[in-house]
Amino acid sequence: MNTETPLITVDNFTMRFGKTTVINDLSFTVRHGETFGFLGSNGSGKTTTIRALLGIYEPSGGTLYVGDGPYKVDGTIKLGYLPEERGLYKKENVIGTMMYFGQLKGMSAQEAKEWSLDYLARVDLENKATVRLDKLSGGQQQKVQLGITIMNDPDLLILDEPTKGFDPVNRRLLMDMIEEHQKRGATVIFVTHQMEEVERLCDRVLLLKDGTARLYGTIDEVKKSFGGNNVIEIVSEHTVPKNDKLYTIKHRDGKVVTIEPKGDMLAIQRSLTGAGVAYTRFELKQLSLDDIFLEIYGAEGKEEVHA
Amino acid sequence: MHNLRTVIKFETVRTLKKKSFWIAALAIPVAGALIGMIVYFSNKTTDTLSQQLSQAQYSVAITDDSHIIAPKILSAIHAQTVPSKQAGIDAVKNGQLDAYFYYPQDISKGNVEVYGKEVGLFDDSRYQSLAQDLLKQSIAATTNANVRAVLQDRVAYNATTFKDGQQDKGFLKLIAPGMFLVLFYFMLVTFGNQILTSITEEKENRVIEMILTTIKPTTLLVGKLLSLTLLAFIQLVTILTPLLIGYFILKDQLSLPSLDLSSIPFDPLAITLGAVIFVISFFMYTGILMTLGAAMPTAKEASSFFGMVMLFTFGPLYASSLFISSPNSTIVQVLSYFPLTSPIPLLLRNAVGNLTLPQAVIGIALLITTTIIAIRIGVRIFKFGALEYSRRLSLSEVIKRKN
Repeated sequence: MNTETPLITVDNFTMRFGKTTVINDLSFTVRHGETFGFLGSNGSGKTTTIRALLGIYEPSGGTLYVGDGPYKVDGTIKLGYLPEERGLYKKENVIGTMMYFGQLKGMSAQEAKEWSLDYLARVDLENKATVRLDKLSGGQQQKVQLGITIMNDPDLLILDEPTKGFDPVNRRLLMDMIEEHQKRGATVIFVTHQMEEVERLCDRVLLLKDGTARLYGTIDEVKKSFGGNNVIEIVSEHTVPKNDKLYTIKHRDGKVVTIEPKGDMLAIQRSLTGAGVAYTRFELKQLSLDDIFLEIYGAEGKEEVHA
Repeated sequence: MHNLRTVIKFETVRTLKKKSFWIAALAIPVAGALIGMIVYFSNKTTDTLSQQLSQAQYSVAITDDSHIIAPKILSAIHAQTVPSKQAGIDAVKNGQLDAYFYYPQDISKGNVEVYGKEVGLFDDSRYQSLAQDLLKQSIAATTNANVRAVLQDRVAYNATTFKDGQQDKGFLKLIAPGMFLVLFYFMLVTFGNQILTSITEEKENRVIEMILTTIKPTTLLVGKLLSLTLLAFIQLVTILTPLLIGYFILKDQLSLPSLDLSSIPFDPLAITLGAVIFVISFFMYTGILMTLGAAMPTAKEASSFFGMVMLFTFGPLYASSLFISSPNSTIVQVLSYFPLTSPIPLLLRNAVGNLTLPQAVIGIALLITTTIIAIRIGVRIFKFGALEYSRRLSLSEVIKRKN
């Protein structure tokens, strides 16, 4: 497989609902075998883009290709899609539902059954195989849905907010599973606003705001394009003044101010002291995607991230 | 169609596993069996009581001013005659007699008077029955066998009519093609709501996005349609089998009429047309109800529109006499060709034999066209409405909307 060849090509994609433009002229590619972080706050257009990519929505403009053309359910690319809006046939039992989806994905009934039982054993649900889905807890239902998503070793795995509703233990389990599929060579699109997970798993990211790509590239490229890898976090009761020579103020959040240094640390500290700014913390930090996200989305985005 | 078999199997098996399906299927034969048992035991009890009553010894006296009652019959039941009405009544009053009947001179004008000792609401009627029997048997004894048959309503009639020089089978000819009308009614009444909920549940379960990225909406809808058709036939067989078994076991006990299939005429053309109209009509309504289910966010909201569809479907039944007597009237023509109302008129007219072949072909063509349109709109609404979890889609929105 040529990992440089894009599996997904989105070109000048525009999406309008009535008079509202949700996505405006979006272009990006996802390469074979890479893990791609599709980032943005709620309402930024992530899920709309995924739905258009998978043919659920018809684009208002542009093209969205999976392989050589628009996604086809009966095409050659095996898809595993975990939508943001989750649900299963609640009155059916676990194994019956998993087998149904397995068969729809091209497995034989026997293969689907064996795979499902192995998976259920792995996620500690082996004794729930014949239990109706509405008798399971929310977390257990999530595990079943995740199992359905990764059935039949998909070539393309699209996970929309996959950690939503998972406790830390199950989140760990989910991450392990994603890593297994990465190693197998699957292309993974990780739709989220959980930046720690993105930093750990993704090769490249695209950050969407108001339907427009704000950042796009590898994580290092994104950080560099945003102003470098390092920032200084200052906690002070006083207002940190502007100083274009020594630093750029990236973000203010009450007493916490994030600056991007241009000069050395000592010079910045002297300048602050000279300006009468007393601080309780002055810490050099590696710039994280979370910082970038907060910078782009501001307080509104932060609330959503930590919600 | 890719995955169609998987969808049909899943939809069929999961419905067959539902208790509600079997409760609905078995409720009719169980109710039939219960009613049969009640009728049987009620008849048996009544027969036993009547027998007991007829065998009961009680004293009777009469005064016969009509001179109809035969003395031979009176002596057979050990009844006496008393000279005056008042003496008979007094004898009942003071307990010397159980019953006294007075037959006036002209029974066509005067009432037969019946007096008896009170023995309970049900048993009191035995006196009047006996008074009536005495009269009937006395008259029968004085007439010949033919007159007796007329009087006792035992004359059998055999009517034969001719059409174009050929013997006409009358109402019997309606039975075979008319069965499709009964089937259609049954299928829609028992399955209509299930068709509706089979679609809305996809939305209510929030499973639609996973489904739409795995199979085509057309495959899902056609799979559901075929599965529901299969289930409807399973339900029909489930209902009919015990009813038929019950019929053959209890035919004699319940005095049910004989089922002589050999006397029922089978007109191949009428039966074929009936079958085609029935199948396409069922598909059309399934398509329409699926469309309705796709447009509504919940089964509850969809059910209010379901009533309107049923009104269109079964409304023409109120004009059924018109379909038989005036098949060429404007209203019959309109109802026969307007797709939403056409199944009942077409099936009924086919059964009674006033639907010509060209009319049937036009009706069937319109039904097929409507079915295709309904399924296509259903697929479109399903696709667009699939992600509308809390809002209903309007038709204009579906037509205009790209997404």
